[in-house]
Amino acid sequence: MVSEERIEEILMGIRDAVVSYDEEACVQLCKVALKRGIDAYEAVIRGLAAGMDIVGELYAKKEYFVPELLLCSDALYAGLDILRPHLKMEEAEIKGRLIIGVVEGDIHDIGKNLVKTMFEAAGWEVYDLGKDVKLDRFVQEQQRINAQVVGLSALMTTSMLAMPRVIEMLRAEDPNVKIMVGGAPLTRDIAIQYGADGYAPDAVAAVQEAIKLLEAPQ
Amino acid sequence: MQLRQDRMSSKERMEALFESRQPDRVPIGAMATVFSSKNAGYSVSTAYGDPEKSFYAMLWTAEQYGWEPIPQYFGHTVLGALDFGGRVRLPMGEYEGAMVVESYPVKTENDVSDLKMPDPKTAGRIPDVMKFSKLQAAHDLPVWFFSRSPFCVAANICGLNQFLRWMVKKPELCERLMKMAIDHIFNVLRYWVETFGAERVFVYMSSPSESNQVISPKQFEEFALPYHIEYHNRLRTLGIKRFGFHICGDHNLNLPYLAEVSPWPHPSILSFGHEVDLEVAAEFFPDDIIYGNIEPAVIQTGSPQQVYELSKIAIEKGKRAPGGFILGPGCGLPAASPPVNVFAMTKAVDDFGWYE
Repeated sequence: MVSEERIEEILMGIRDAVVSYDEEACVQLCKVALKRGIDAYEAVIRGLAAGMDIVGELYAKKEYFVPELLLCSDALYAGLDILRPHLKMEEAEIKGRLIIGVVEGDIHDIGKNLVKTMFEAAGWEVYDLGKDVKLDRFVQEQQRINAQVVGLSALMTTSMLAMPRVIEMLRAEDPNVKIMVGGAPLTRDIAIQYGADGYAPDAVAAVQEAIKLLEAPQ
Repeated sequence: MQLRQDRMSSKERMEALFESRQPDRVPIGAMATVFSSKNAGYSVSTAYGDPEKSFYAMLWTAEQYGWEPIPQYFGHTVLGALDFGGRVRLPMGEYEGAMVVESYPVKTENDVSDLKMPDPKTAGRIPDVMKFSKLQAAHDLPVWFFSRSPFCVAANICGLNQFLRWMVKKPELCERLMKMAIDHIFNVLRYWVETFGAERVFVYMSSPSESNQVISPKQFEEFALPYHIEYHNRLRTLGIKRFGFHICGDHNLNLPYLAEVSPWPHPSILSFGHEVDLEVAAEFFPDDIIYGNIEPAVIQTGSPQQVYELSKIAIEKGKRAPGGFILGPGCGLPAASPPVNVFAMTKAVDDFGWYE
């Protein structure tokens, strides 16, 4: 029987390994957690996800920047690879479903990948369509997945022009889907002009924005 | 287009700025490679693929809007991914607006040690950009040499994703790539100087990947700044005097570091994104020509009234900059900008940009 203190120590170790982007330690501690009989879901929530919460705070305080976010994200996914096969996640435990992709004409995906990480860490099921995604594909995937939120990313002023088009296409098929946009040239004003429901200036703010959208009265 | 009280030619106006004299009015500039090609009825790929059509499209567009024909460039002279052996293609389709990297030459750590220096006369787009530069020389315009900073060129060799991870975990790999990047930049620049003479070459640099939207000021100081200093040591050795720097994106936290060393010749043109307040920029760099910084997305999606109002504010701030001011977009002029929004910048200069 593992003591409560030891469980706490392992979970905090996983959390801290994510924060200090120590991928190797994160993998080892996740293995230890499983070996000691700690529930994989608990290890995800109180270890990996709690780590990413701290990472988000450090980013908001401008102590972490993109290099650290990428490495923390690597540690998170390395840990998830160990824990995921042991998860007995019920549908009720999923906070929401998100489809995300960089729109057609744009190959810049660092921001999109970080948004994806923050949503996964927050317990969302994320369907990542990748970069340079043809507009039709967003609609097809939404028909298949029926996500609550679709996230569109663009870094270029040329590719952001695809956003109002895909928003219109998505709405025609599913008027209730919440659509968020993000990326360097976007602003909240432009998001509204394009017909999006939400906008986030960075990956950390994106999850909060999505939660707000889902909580808003229909 | 002639503005109503023009008392200087474009060339005289720019010379006045560089000689720290007051010009007749605020000059107008735009980095408008793709906008100009589309303005002339060409495709986006022509902007980067056909030096002659691209050159004349820019020349005519600059005249149409009353811009100084500077900055004027045919994409990057040096392109890390392409020059070092990766696969890069011209933009195509409705939504692409820049060269597209399909494959980076460096994918693994071992690739870094195997990397070979490119030929400075034949690599990548260099021959086409040389044709463009010869057209500039033939039209008595400054001959542009446009590269990103060594940090950004290096990041483009292995991809920014990889580069940022190596900065933390394997900084020696980044150092090696940045060393190769700056050596390559200067090998090509020597070719330009040999062809045109140092007096005619106008070197322009941009540094988007160094912004604080990507890296911390500490990382900027540790990785990027030493190469800015070395860059200018080498520029001085070559005898190049005209320099412009597009400080792309949100560099607010980097500005104190840049201002402390400011290694470029004074005055140089310092171009800022809309993320940096022009008054802040002028305070940090009183000896340089401040250029900017209308938000490109507003030029593309806003109304002419909005662009006019933003331009008026920028002119009011910029006219107080002790080193001089050029009005322009905060980054490349978006290709799909409505012509009337682009004209709104010119109209604002005509209405508010005259010096007494």
